[in-house]
Amino acid sequence: MSNSVIEVPPKGGFSFDLCKRNEMLAKKGVNPPSFRKTGTTIVGLVFQDGVILGADTRATEGPIVCDKNCEKIHYMAPNIYCCGAGTAADTEAVTDMVSSQLQLHRYHTGRESRVVTALTLLKRHLFNYQGYVSAALVLGGVDVTGPHLHTIYPHGSTDTLPFATMGSGSLAAMAVFESKYKEGLTRNEGIELVTEAICSGIFNDLGSGSNVDVCVITKGGKEYLRNHLQPNPRTYTNSKGYSFPKKTEVLLTKIIPLKEKVEIIEGGDAMEE
Amino acid sequence: MGDSQYSFSLTTFSPSGKLVQIEHALTAVGSGQTSLGIKAANGVVIATEKKLPSILVDEASVQKIQLLTPNIGVVYSGMGPDFRVLVRKSRKQAEQYHRLYKEPIPVTQLVRETAAVMQEFTQSGGVRPFGVSLLVAGYDDNGPQLYQVDPSGSYFSWKASAMGKNVSNAKTFLEKRYTDDMELDDAVHTAILTLKEGFEGQISGKNIEIGIIGTDKKFRVLTPAEIDDYLAEVE
Repeated sequence: MSNSVIEVPPKGGFSFDLCKRNEMLAKKGVNPPSFRKTGTTIVGLVFQDGVILGADTRATEGPIVCDKNCEKIHYMAPNIYCCGAGTAADTEAVTDMVSSQLQLHRYHTGRESRVVTALTLLKRHLFNYQGYVSAALVLGGVDVTGPHLHTIYPHGSTDTLPFATMGSGSLAAMAVFESKYKEGLTRNEGIELVTEAICSGIFNDLGSGSNVDVCVITKGGKEYLRNHLQPNPRTYTNSKGYSFPKKTEVLLTKIIPLKEKVEIIEGGDAMEE
Repeated sequence: MGDSQYSFSLTTFSPSGKLVQIEHALTAVGSGQTSLGIKAANGVVIATEKKLPSILVDEASVQKIQLLTPNIGVVYSGMGPDFRVLVRKSRKQAEQYHRLYKEPIPVTQLVRETAAVMQEFTQSGGVRPFGVSLLVAGYDDNGPQLYQVDPSGSYFSWKASAMGKNVSNAKTFLEKRYTDDMELDDAVHTAILTLKEGFEGQISGKNIEIGIIGTDKKFRVLTPAEIDDYLAEVE
């Protein structure tokens, strides 16, 4: 029997070996570190000229807020944006990857990207990873076939809706949408409704907070309103700053300069590139 | 590439030390339609003849000058289908660089990677070298740049260069006309005049293609109407 390992050609796809190991460790009481989730309230709705996407800006690591002003509305194409809930790394990586693929597709076809293209690329990737890529997305955009809004779940299923919410604050936001949404909203009405839904998530869900980001996409172009509303400003900051008294007494100060080993030649030639 | 029966390279050395396949590839380039590029002080222009095999061909469907990134464009002399393959590979490499570094790829890097691909095909099993020479024009933090890449995989930076059928006349013409402080508009005029030198028939916006990039760092192909305007200025 030879000692060498027989080389099995890689079959492609995800290798689940480490997942088995993690399960075994968890049973023994060793839990993996908690990863940065976006908690989140993300919403989208279709209005008369296009789609409006909205998101809160809190990123959490377990019970701690690790980013008070993160960006959850990701660029996919000049006419398509995607809000991401779930594990922050997963949403960033998957939207980045599909955005790259869409750019290459645009060069190849010479045409504007369609929302269904982004949808299919995302859902295929997520399904391939069987829900282990924890990204719940709200994808919206306007293309030649009109305005589109979709939700994508981590396991790869999708819905096409006139208004949608995802994330831990989705119930709070959906309550607002269900009572106030109607077809043919104007731009300002739409932005107001989206802001209200996100605020409902911010104030009623612990996983969401800080500011409201809004993105309006129409046939003519897009408007990314970063921090459109800031309902949680930091009040009572001390303008004088904070000073902490020194606790250790200084007994002796002695400065020994290190030996100069470098000779500085004034006006020498610049280093060759 | 190695599991077929052709796991040996088809490009092999001759007794005199030359790679004959590459020489032949350069001949293929030399019989292709003329293309040229000129680097101005504030931009780069690349241009090519667009002689279609028949008047029945829809000239709007043919585009010889292609975009690799928003600030880098490319034109070729030689075999069109080989060019398409290289353009696709280069675009992917530029996009991968962007994914990794979140920065647009510098012109030299893209040229280097494209040249590496072309060299691969002179040393891999069962493939032949590409029958195109490329002229890559770009504008990045190092200013305007123009590179020529050959089927062997060697690349050079040029102030002005030409490839294809009329190369010797075109290069002599460019050597006489080129000045270091040329503006982009002057460069376009010079490019048109150079193409006109060896042009058979009536030159117009429909049978040449011109691509420019200026200080705005946005590469674009001129429309036939714009080319006609420049032609009128040159007359």
